[in-house]
Amino acid sequence: MSFIEKIGYFAISLAKSFTDIFFFAGIILRRMLRRKTYSSAMRTVLVNQIYFTSVQILPVFLVVSIIFGSLLIGIVFQLLKGLGLTEFFGNVLMGLIVTELSPFFTVLLITLRSGSAINTEIAVMKVNGEIKTLETFRIDVIDYLLVPRVINGVASLVLLSSLFSVVLMFSGILFSNIIFGIGIDAYTNILLNSANFSDIVIALLKCAIFGFFATVIPIRSGLSASNELTSIPIAVSGGMVNVFTAIMIIEVLSLITKLF
Amino acid sequence: MSISREFKVGLFIVLTTIVILLSLLYLAYEKGFFEKVFTFTLSSKSGDGFTEGMPVVFSGFNIGKVHALELNDKGIVLIRIKIPERHVKWVKQDSSFILYRPLIGASRIIVTTTNLHSPQLPERKIPEVDIVNDINDVITKVPPLIEKITLIASNLETLSNNLANPKGDFNRVLSNVAKVTENLDNILKKVDKIADKTDAQLFGKDGTLPQVNNILKDIVGKLEKLNTTVDNINKISQEASEGVKDFHILRSDIDDTVNAVNDVVNRLDDLISSKKEPEFKVP
Repeated sequence: MSFIEKIGYFAISLAKSFTDIFFFAGIILRRMLRRKTYSSAMRTVLVNQIYFTSVQILPVFLVVSIIFGSLLIGIVFQLLKGLGLTEFFGNVLMGLIVTELSPFFTVLLITLRSGSAINTEIAVMKVNGEIKTLETFRIDVIDYLLVPRVINGVASLVLLSSLFSVVLMFSGILFSNIIFGIGIDAYTNILLNSANFSDIVIALLKCAIFGFFATVIPIRSGLSASNELTSIPIAVSGGMVNVFTAIMIIEVLSLITKLF
Repeated sequence: MSISREFKVGLFIVLTTIVILLSLLYLAYEKGFFEKVFTFTLSSKSGDGFTEGMPVVFSGFNIGKVHALELNDKGIVLIRIKIPERHVKWVKQDSSFILYRPLIGASRIIVTTTNLHSPQLPERKIPEVDIVNDINDVITKVPPLIEKITLIASNLETLSNNLANPKGDFNRVLSNVAKVTENLDNILKKVDKIADKTDAQLFGKDGTLPQVNNILKDIVGKLEKLNTTVDNINKISQEASEGVKDFHILRSDIDDTVNAVNDVVNRLDDLISSKKEPEFKVP
């Protein structure tokens, strides 16, 4: 295979992969909007998924948010003070930490914990023939297995990211008081002046998109596993790399959206 | 009693949703989404620096924002600003509006109201916006500064050329200085010689100072002799003074004697004048 052929092959596989993912995402999205999908069995799976993804992780998530968020806010505030840019700390807090860092931090956490688990779970089910068995029993695999996981991803990311932002806001009260000597009223005023509805809506939307693709891609990757056990790690590693690529693409797209 | 998984999940979703909604509602309330909003129109000859959403600031606080920008038929830029009801009190008829474009940071319209008791700005009135432009101010200040720097640079270049040129002013000055130094060296040698001679004349064996010393020693000896003489004079003077005291006593004795003689003479006169024959025999 010549060099040009290799480039062509790479471009075709990339395009095929993108088309495949978007086609699959379209199917899932259509099912999500269909009322019939929300059967009692699906709802049970959804509750379990949210429990494992968000509720079970909540104490650890809150502790990590407080420690990491407080440290980050302290460093950023100290840096701003050192540079004499104290008047911009509201913009930094809202524009950087709330709308950028919170979704990014949360999606990383969800991807590492749940994305990889979903990818492996689906790949193992495929290898063990469980998916085929479900189909044999005329159970809709997409409704029963996939849609609850994707909805869970979207809901968990939006909720956890919002929680992370709230924790950071409260950390900000403490650090703004210690570093800048700013009272709660002044702090609230600065935040309100810096907060834009459009930014918050974009951040929430970004979280939802992150959650959607952080689950859809591992599911698709898991389903692409063959009947051999050795295909499981390949499917998992491929899926995770694709998820990280998707995260980066969504992040860049959201930044571009902000420019307009 | 164990809490069911469904309850935990439900509680998590409900609480987090409430937190998000409350935050958004609070933000909406504070941003004045539920308030009556007044629209004022400002004008400017140029739309440079104005953007939709730009904050309108009074005393450092955001009181509104630019809602829309329009260009009217006369080519004047109309800036529509929206002020929530609670901040309308800061916008008066005599308020001035300044577009402030700082060097660092976002541009903003600053409202300044000197008389807060003046009537409220009517919505149909269109005040003009003054422009304070840090960037352009800096830019206008830069060319003269660059000119000066260029002048300094050219002067430095001339100076450097002069320094480098062996026939240049600086090198000539340096050679003159060398000559002056040489002359000074000769003068110093002469001064040294003069100093040596002066030293010999002053401090030599037959110099002035040893002679002065001898004279002074002689004078000291003479003064010592004079001291003895003065002492003797003092003694004489003292004795004379004491003698004068004796003279006083002697004089008073003489005065007494003269007075006694006078008395005797007077009695004799009395005696002579009282006798018929002014003749008497003396023993």
